[in-house]
Amino acid sequence: METVDNGGRVRRIEELERENEAMKEALAAAEAANQAKSRFLSNMSHDIRTPMNAIMGMTAIGLSHIDEKARVQDCLEKIRTASAHLMSLVNDVLDMSRIDSGRMTLSEERFSLADLVHDLAVILRPQAEQKGQELTFEIGRIEEENLVGDPLRLRQILVNIIGNAVKYTQEGGAILVRFAQRLAGEGRVWLDFLCEDNGMGMSEEFLQRIFLPFERVRSGAVNQIEGTGLGMSIVKNLVDSMGGRIEVESQEGKGSRFTVALPLPVSPGNREAALPAGGCVLVAESQDRRSQQLEECLREIGLMPVRVTAGTEAVTRLTEARYENRMPWAMLLGQELSDMQPLDAAAHVRQLAGKEFPILLVSEGDWAQMEYRAVRAGVSDFVPCPLFRSRLTGALSRLICGEGEDAGGTGSRDADYRSYRALLVEDNELNLEIASELLGMTGIQVETAENGWKAVERFAAAPEGYFDLIFMDIQMPVMDGYEAVRRIRAMERTDGKSVWIVAMTANAFVEDVRLSRQAGMNEHLSKPVDLERLQDVLRRQFG
Amino acid sequence: MQAYQEEYIANLKEIAALADRRKPEALTFSAYELRRRQKEGLARQKVKRNVELLRGGLVPALDHLFEAKEEEVQELEDFAAKLAGGVDAGLFRRIHQALLSLARLKRDRTATIRELYWLGMGYYWLCNNLAGLDLELIEKYVSRMRLCFTEAAAYLKYFDEIEDTETRGYILRSRANMALGPFKSQGGKIRLVRETLRIMQDEHYQEVEPNLPWERYLYMTHQQMASSIAHDKSKVMSPEDTASIMESVYIVYQQRIQEAEAQHERPTLRWAFPCCTIEYYCGLYDFGRLLAKIEKLLDAADPEDHSPEGVYGIVSLPAFYCQYLMQEPERIPGRAAYVDGLYRRALDYVDSFPAEEQENLALYLWQLSCTYIETGGGMSYGAFLEEIMLRFAPELYLHSRMVAAACRAVCALILEEEPDFFDDMEGIADEADPAEKRRKILDAAVQYGLLHDAGKVSLLQFFAQTGRQWLEEEYEVARLHTMVGESMLRERASTRPYAAAALGHHAWYDGSAYGYPAAYRRLECPGRQMVDVVGLMDWLENVTGSGQASSGIEMSFDEAVEEAVALEGRRFSPLLTARLRDKQVTDRICQAFQEGRREAYRRMYERETNHVCDAGNGMN
Repeated sequence: METVDNGGRVRRIEELERENEAMKEALAAAEAANQAKSRFLSNMSHDIRTPMNAIMGMTAIGLSHIDEKARVQDCLEKIRTASAHLMSLVNDVLDMSRIDSGRMTLSEERFSLADLVHDLAVILRPQAEQKGQELTFEIGRIEEENLVGDPLRLRQILVNIIGNAVKYTQEGGAILVRFAQRLAGEGRVWLDFLCEDNGMGMSEEFLQRIFLPFERVRSGAVNQIEGTGLGMSIVKNLVDSMGGRIEVESQEGKGSRFTVALPLPVSPGNREAALPAGGCVLVAESQDRRSQQLEECLREIGLMPVRVTAGTEAVTRLTEARYENRMPWAMLLGQELSDMQPLDAAAHVRQLAGKEFPILLVSEGDWAQMEYRAVRAGVSDFVPCPLFRSRLTGALSRLICGEGEDAGGTGSRDADYRSYRALLVEDNELNLEIASELLGMTGIQVETAENGWKAVERFAAAPEGYFDLIFMDIQMPVMDGYEAVRRIRAMERTDGKSVWIVAMTANAFVEDVRLSRQAGMNEHLSKPVDLERLQDVLRRQFG
Repeated sequence: MQAYQEEYIANLKEIAALADRRKPEALTFSAYELRRRQKEGLARQKVKRNVELLRGGLVPALDHLFEAKEEEVQELEDFAAKLAGGVDAGLFRRIHQALLSLARLKRDRTATIRELYWLGMGYYWLCNNLAGLDLELIEKYVSRMRLCFTEAAAYLKYFDEIEDTETRGYILRSRANMALGPFKSQGGKIRLVRETLRIMQDEHYQEVEPNLPWERYLYMTHQQMASSIAHDKSKVMSPEDTASIMESVYIVYQQRIQEAEAQHERPTLRWAFPCCTIEYYCGLYDFGRLLAKIEKLLDAADPEDHSPEGVYGIVSLPAFYCQYLMQEPERIPGRAAYVDGLYRRALDYVDSFPAEEQENLALYLWQLSCTYIETGGGMSYGAFLEEIMLRFAPELYLHSRMVAAACRAVCALILEEEPDFFDDMEGIADEADPAEKRRKILDAAVQYGLLHDAGKVSLLQFFAQTGRQWLEEEYEVARLHTMVGESMLRERASTRPYAAAALGHHAWYDGSAYGYPAAYRRLECPGRQMVDVVGLMDWLENVTGSGQASSGIEMSFDEAVEEAVALEGRRFSPLLTARLRDKQVTDRICQAFQEGRREAYRRMYERETNHVCDAGNGMN
């Protein structure tokens, strides 16, 4: 054993103790870092899973409706939205170090606030619905819808805040999201965003740390909820980078309220669709808040709203108005009526007011889910909620003045079908005349045949792909519609199998519908011809 | 009327006459069976002929409606008038829908008002046939009815400008009819009727058109007000609503009761019952006293009285009574024997009716089935439903018995090869005794088959109108029987296990939208294997027999089997269709259908003749 003097021994022990202490500290730091990393890795699953769930869910829906083009298209749109969000999330996580070191850059591009808000609704509504929560989007005063900024980062801020509200609010709770603007001068506006929930809230102590990375409320309830604890830190950094402010108020057990104010430049050259002022528009909606929003919006664009809350009230008003030749310019059909389903009212109004009368469905619902029923009921166009003036103005101007391109509405009532050609097969001269005239109004090129035999001849003589659509009467002399369709389908040319054939007949028994399908027809329209439904066929077929 | 129209109407009458169940006097069972089959065949031919008539006559007429001459349009109106009410409400609506389109096209105000009124009435008859179903299920038809009446009533503003009395009458009747059918909010109905009362009492209208029966209009509007009571005590009515109702109740009931009492006559139950329930809802007394009052009325009902008053007292009143009892189920055990007595009295009463008049009792007995209370010791709900089918819907009973027999036969074959096939069903996997397990499954198969169309009992009036193939709208209504049946069976303990069959027997195996209803999720249903069996047997029986009239699908048994196999994995479970490739299996199913048919006939025979029959030999 080595022998040393006492002083030397003491020094050596002290050195060893210091080394030991340093090693302990290093170990603790390493463990803390390791724990943070582990916690981060395990927690981040939620932020990634949220859009992943949307992608997987919409993929499943799309696959189960693979033959319905519109439905699949809608699913793909939603998948694209969620994928973009997922990508941005992954990017943000990877860029966290850049955010910390202040090296993050923001893009400056033109974006539409309406698109941004609708995207948010698409991403977040399904989650809220799953928890039975009432997620309300309110739009206050909006000065300019087209702005300049970094829409991806902006969406990230908003998804984080609203997503947290959904996450930390109990089933059946309520979340209010509100957007408004104030003029900031020099071509800028303040975008004011508020998200208020009646969820579990946060303690005073946690509020001090809410914007630190990897911090999450710790409680039994919260531990069940997945998350990285990174979201609010990113939000704070992003808001700061944009020159904005974020504030949070919260009370444990009562809920939280986030307010964000962001200064954003207005995009130059905005042009809203024009509408002549002074026209009257019937607003059919029983819910006061939704109706007020619609009425305000109409007044802002110079139109005069007249509100009814019931379907019967709408029909009474329109009957009187029609009799007195003072029909409103359009009807905005809301989400709720006090006495019936809005689409049931729409179906009657369509019959009463005629095919030209614009009926706009304004709804928070998913258009893809309701389009088939809505169009069949006679709805001309759809305006999604949260309601933006530009969307409403665009749809109204398209329907009333025949102006403007699609500004977000989904219908295409006055679509141009000039590039399509239909063969109208009908033995009755008057019916032929009515249907030809109507189809002619849509722009579609119409050729006619007076019986099934002539139709077969006509089709056979035409080059492949010449006819896009055939309207086929059933009971005709020489050759009936069933036989004619069977012969067309049996032709050895590709369009024989694919051309869309619509039975147009007074035979309305279930067996007739089946027989026309068996003969190879794709759809069945009953007579006397419902003029609106003819247009629906074109709309559905050529979109 | 045109020849095809007259023949169509005559055929409808003949079809109704063929369904007549007069006592088969002095018939052996074999002769009875033969006669039933002949009648069924004849009815089927008539239905076919009717479809031909409509195709040849009505369809071209509607096809050329826009260029029709005035007399042709009038003939259509006349034809529709013959179909009014319960004769053929579906065709009635179809014709008036077309005539309304024509009136709108021509911008003919008078015709538009008239057609709106009649189309509204067409929907009213439909809604009447669907009375008692959840508003959510029938809201579409109620809205259609109400909107037709609303549009016609909107012309009230131009009452002075309307030239003829008839059109003014349509407007006023439409105004009153706006209050028909169920409402989302009872307050809304009361406000509507109150406004109608104001209009009916307005002297201006009466001066403009003195030729209308104003007193009758007013009285009927008071009747509507008296029936506007909110049957949910949680929805407190406003004092104004209560006052309006009580005023109408006085005019419609109390005044008459007082008059009857003054002449020492017994007030009718039809006045006395609504009067006491309304007084209860308006807060004049409590629930216990209400029950006591109804019981007093029930005790006063005369089982010997075959008048409408007697039917009301013996059949309808117990239904209303049970509906109230269900509001406070804790009161049921103390009244179990009383309730059972009411049911037995009602069935005995129906039996005591002349057979040809029993038809009219279907609606009343249906009321009883909707509010049926299972007391434990009494008749089970399933047995009660079977009784109703047997008495009032023999075609449905026949179909259900055949499906039940075929289900049992198929299950027996499956169990021979795979004893665990039905283990997902509740209480089956736990059964250790193989014989007992088999018995349980086969018993369940019979019940699943027998009750799969229970929902049709709630739609008896609708399904009774089968003088032709269904129109699209009717087919849509007919689909409701799945959800209605599920809800009926689910609500009673003894039938709860079979509710899935009622819901899922028209669903497709692949879950595609060709099947219905969307509410049935096959993979979540523990009894899905049995529901699959019921769905297949139901389809086979329908396309080869009872469903041909309404759907127009006619196949031989072999063709049906071939088609079922072709639909393997899409409409039908491949586990079942695989077995259809075995001739022995299909022969057994075919035989089971025959056995089911014979069993159904036997029960009908016994009920109609009060004879016990040895189906093998045939006897008087």
